[in-house]
This record gives sequence, C-alpha cells and structure tokens, in this order.
Amino acid sequence: MAESGPILLVEDNELNCEMLTRRLTRAGFAVITAADGEQALVLMASARPALVLMDMNLPVMDGWTACRAARADDRLRDIPIIALTAHAMDADRRSALSAGCDDYATKPIDFPELLAKIRRLTAS
Amino acid sequence: MSTDSSHTPAPWSQMLLRTVSELKAQADADGAALDSAVHDDLRRLFQAATTLERQLATAVSDSHHDQMNSLAAIRGYAEMLQEDIGAEATVLGDSLARLLRAVHTAHNGADTPPPAPQRRTIAAEPGFILAVDDLQENRELVARYLSRSGHLVVTAASGAEALQTLTETDVDVVLLDLMMPDMDGREVLRRIKEHPEWRATPVIVISGSQDMDGIIACIEAGADDYLFKPFNPVLLQARIKAGIERKRWHDREEQYRQQLERNEKFIRATFGRYLSDEIVTEILERPEGLELGGDLREVTIMMSDIRGFTTLSEQLAPQHVVAMLNRYLGTMTDIIMAHSGTIDEFIGDAILTVFGAPQHRDDDADRAVRCALAMQAAMAGINADNRAAGLPELTTGIALNTGSVIAGNIGSERRSKYGFVGHPMNVTSRIEDHCEGGEILISDSTASKLQGTYILSNRRELAIRGIEQSVLVQRIQEADHG
Repeated sequence: MAESGPILLVEDNELNCEMLTRRLTRAGFAVITAADGEQALVLMASARPALVLMDMNLPVMDGWTACRAARADDRLRDIPIIALTAHAMDADRRSALSAGCDDYATKPIDFPELLAKIRRLTAS
Repeated sequence: MSTDSSHTPAPWSQMLLRTVSELKAQADADGAALDSAVHDDLRRLFQAATTLERQLATAVSDSHHDQMNSLAAIRGYAEMLQEDIGAEATVLGDSLARLLRAVHTAHNGADTPPPAPQRRTIAAEPGFILAVDDLQENRELVARYLSRSGHLVVTAASGAEALQTLTETDVDVVLLDLMMPDMDGREVLRRIKEHPEWRATPVIVISGSQDMDGIIACIEAGADDYLFKPFNPVLLQARIKAGIERKRWHDREEQYRQQLERNEKFIRATFGRYLSDEIVTEILERPEGLELGGDLREVTIMMSDIRGFTTLSEQLAPQHVVAMLNRYLGTMTDIIMAHSGTIDEFIGDAILTVFGAPQHRDDDADRAVRCALAMQAAMAGINADNRAAGLPELTTGIALNTGSVIAGNIGSERRSKYGFVGHPMNVTSRIEDHCEGGEILISDSTASKLQGTYILSNRRELAIRGIEQSVLVQRIQEADHG
C-alpha cells in the first residue's frame, strides 16, 4: 500500500475529538487534529492529509466556510472532505455537499460506516 | 423543535440517563478489577453523560448540535469500552450494551435495537505474544485484550525493537502492524522468515487498509494469518490461539527431531567403528530390525590370519611390526566394510568378522566369500608395498563358517561391546588353523548357503578338537570369467 498522509480531524468538542482520534488510531490511521476552520486550512496546506473529517459547527471559521475555501484553493482542492453533522436531514446533506464536501456522516457517528467512507475516499 | 424537548423531556432521555446510572453503579462495583484504561474511558463517558443531562435541562438554540456531540461521545466511548473489555461476558458489558441500545433509540427515535454484540470467549493455552505497532494506543489495546485472556504480551514500537525482542526471547506469535515508519512490517516479516531460528514463529500481519493485495503478498512472504484494523477481539483471540497451537506443534516436532538426531549420532558413534556406514544407515532406517538385547541368529563368520606372523614379529623392530600390521589391517578393514561385514575384533594380526549381524541379509554367505576373495587379491598390493619398504612378504589364510551364534552387547557395565558367542565361532577358529597362506577354506554349512558360482576343490574332513562331529571343508576360488 502506498504511503498516504494522515487524517485531519477538525472537531472543537474535546471529548469527541479525543474519542475519534483514538478510534481512528485503532483503525490504523495516523491522525492530526484542528479545533477550527482556520487551523484546518493551515494544516491541509502544510501536512497534506489524505482526508479531512470536518465538523460543520466550528468556532472562528465554520466547516462550510472552510470547505468552500478549500475547494477554491488549487492546492487543497483534491483533498477529500467528509462533513460531520448533527443533523440527519436532507437539507444538511445538501448544504454539505454543495460546500464541496465529498461525503457526510451524522452524529452520533456509526463508526464502521464512517471507516467505510474514509476507505472509499482514500482508496484511489 | 429542540426547544420543545427541553420542557417535556423526550422519553429516550430518561431511558438513556437511567442506563448511564446503571452503568455507573456497575463500574463502581467492579472498581479495582478494571484496568486504568477502562477507568479513563468510563470517566470520559460519564463526563459526556453529565454534559448531556445539563443540555437536556436547559433550552438554548444550538442544543441539538450540542446534544448530538454528547451522544456521539457517549456512543463512541461505550463502543470503545466494549472493545476494551474484549469478548468476555461481563455484567459491565451487558450494561454497555443496554446503554448503546438507548443511544440508538435516542438517535433514531425508534426502538430498533442495534445488533447484539457477539459474546464469545476463545479459550487458549497461554502464549508469549510480541505485538508490534508504532502507535501506542494500538499496542496498549492489544496488550489489554490478550493479557486478559492469560497471554504474556510484550510490545515493540518499531521493527528494530521487534527484532531485538526476538533475539532476546522465545516468542510464540508475532502480531505485526504493516504500516510503520522506518522499517515497515513487510521488512520485519522478511527478516523473521529468513532467520533460521525465527522462521517457524507464526506471524499475524495487521493492515489498516483493506488492502487484500498487500495481505496476499505478505502471506506469500511467509505470514501465517492476517487481521484488518480495527479488529474484532474474538477474531484476534481465535487467530492468536491458532498461532500458538501451530508454534507448539512445531516446537514438539523440533524436539522430536533433535532427539532422533541425538540417537542417530549415538548409534553412529557406537557402531561406526565396526560397522559399515551402509549397515548403520540401514539400522537407523529400520530400527525394529536391530535387537541388541542378545538374540540367536544365523551368521557367516570369517576369520583371517597372517601365516607365521608371530615368528616374523620376533625378527623385526617393533615399529616395523606395527607399521606393517596397520597397513595390512587398514586395507582389510576397508574391504570388509565395503562388503558390509561387521568386524567383531582384531586379535593381533587376526581379524574376526561376522556377516549377518546386527542386520541379516539374504546374501550374507556370498558377501563373506566375495570379501575373502577380495582380501586375498589385495595381498599382492600389500606385498609390493612391503617389498618397497624392505619388509618381508605376508600371506594370509581365511576361514569361513556359517552357524547360529548369540549376538548382543556382551561384557560388564563398565566395558561391553556388541559381540558374538557360540560354538560356530570356535569352529571357525579351528578351520582357520588348517588354512595355508593364500587359501580360503569354507565349511559345508557356508557352501550350502551360496548362491553365486565359485570353484570349489579339495573337500576334506577336519577333525576338530572338542567336537565329536567332524567338519567338512573345501577350498574356494574365484570362478573363471567368461
């Protein structure tokens, strides 16, 4: 398997951040974290993650804004993003996808399903 | 809509909080029995539950998002705890399962419980496991799973550390992460499988990606099994168990092989000096054919003697006697070994040889005759050497006789050898007394066993001291060729 970058987890909720970091580590991924959208954009450029897991409801710069900014940036355009949302509703799904996210997952996260999505997006 | 739920709490919230306090009571009851890692995760779970309770009691516009964050943390830690406590059927595990069902109801608003987690325990003989992973979380997780099922676990954070551990200890199973910085899992696997002492140690490779091609390459490179992360604890235990059993089988086999090798060495060392390699190999291959306890068997006995050697030795310097004797005996020994004879002993210049013990063959008598003929034929060469060294020429007489003797380890505890006793031994010695130089005499008992064609002549009766019956002997020579 080709050496790939880490997963960037963008999550301001400390417990969720700690919990997801560990579960992703158990699943064999290297994980780096950011607590807001701005930090996320900086890390996307510097650490070249294989994929971003982005909570949408973030301080400083929210997930939708960060996502759109990444899609507008030539260097970051190709990094897949999975939106983490609190709402299972269609409107949320659409707004995440229209902001340029590649997929989304609803909290509380179904972890095996999330892993499948990550693997699908990092497979190519 | 979330504003409403704060005034009249949804039925799921009460159910959820009840299962949380149940879990808390159980965790307190288990108390000291739990690992510190389990304690930590329980603490975080209860922290999320306390936050959720507060969120449910207050009405703020963003409460749905916050509540889902809390629920997400509760679910995440509960699932991790299920992984942590492994596959054991514990009361704590049951509490966690009930909590997760409540989370599921809270999330979906309907009571469709998630599939019940597997509760299976794999009982295995305890083993010594080396877990190799660059990530501490994973090393600790594996160590926790496996030490709980009675295994001894050592961990290594890198390939180099793993190889170091292997040089220091005898490991039963290696659990090897493939994705590591510096030396990756594949390189570690290659080195293990190339090492003469480690190659039998089962290696279970662990891959973070569902990379089947990578796994197949590892299995071709000698990996015994594989797992994908995050692994199911029951599957991990089952594979560890299979690995330990494989290692135990190999160890037993190796022990048995070493025992056999020691036995073979012993037998070769014990018999090699008076048995040909061929016979030793035959005995080793069919050990049931060899009984050293002492048994009666029919053999052809050969006795050879240098004519007039005693007189000769008195006329020569001792070093010349020994040199001449050794040259003679060396040549004769090679010929006897080549004919698969068993040299019983050298008595001065005489050689006592037996054909047919410890291993009987159908052509014992024929081999004895061919051996005797070859020995006589070799005298020309020995005498040419003697002439060249200014020593006198020698002639030898050879007697052959066939009969039943007792073969076995004969002697005392301090000194014993595989030897032969019986009347036919003495008869052979008496026949030998009648041999002239260059002559081979065979008794009728040997002649009757011969399958080959030879020239027999001068059949006569020998009166032998101590025997009432006389013995019939004749001279034997090579048949004319063509």
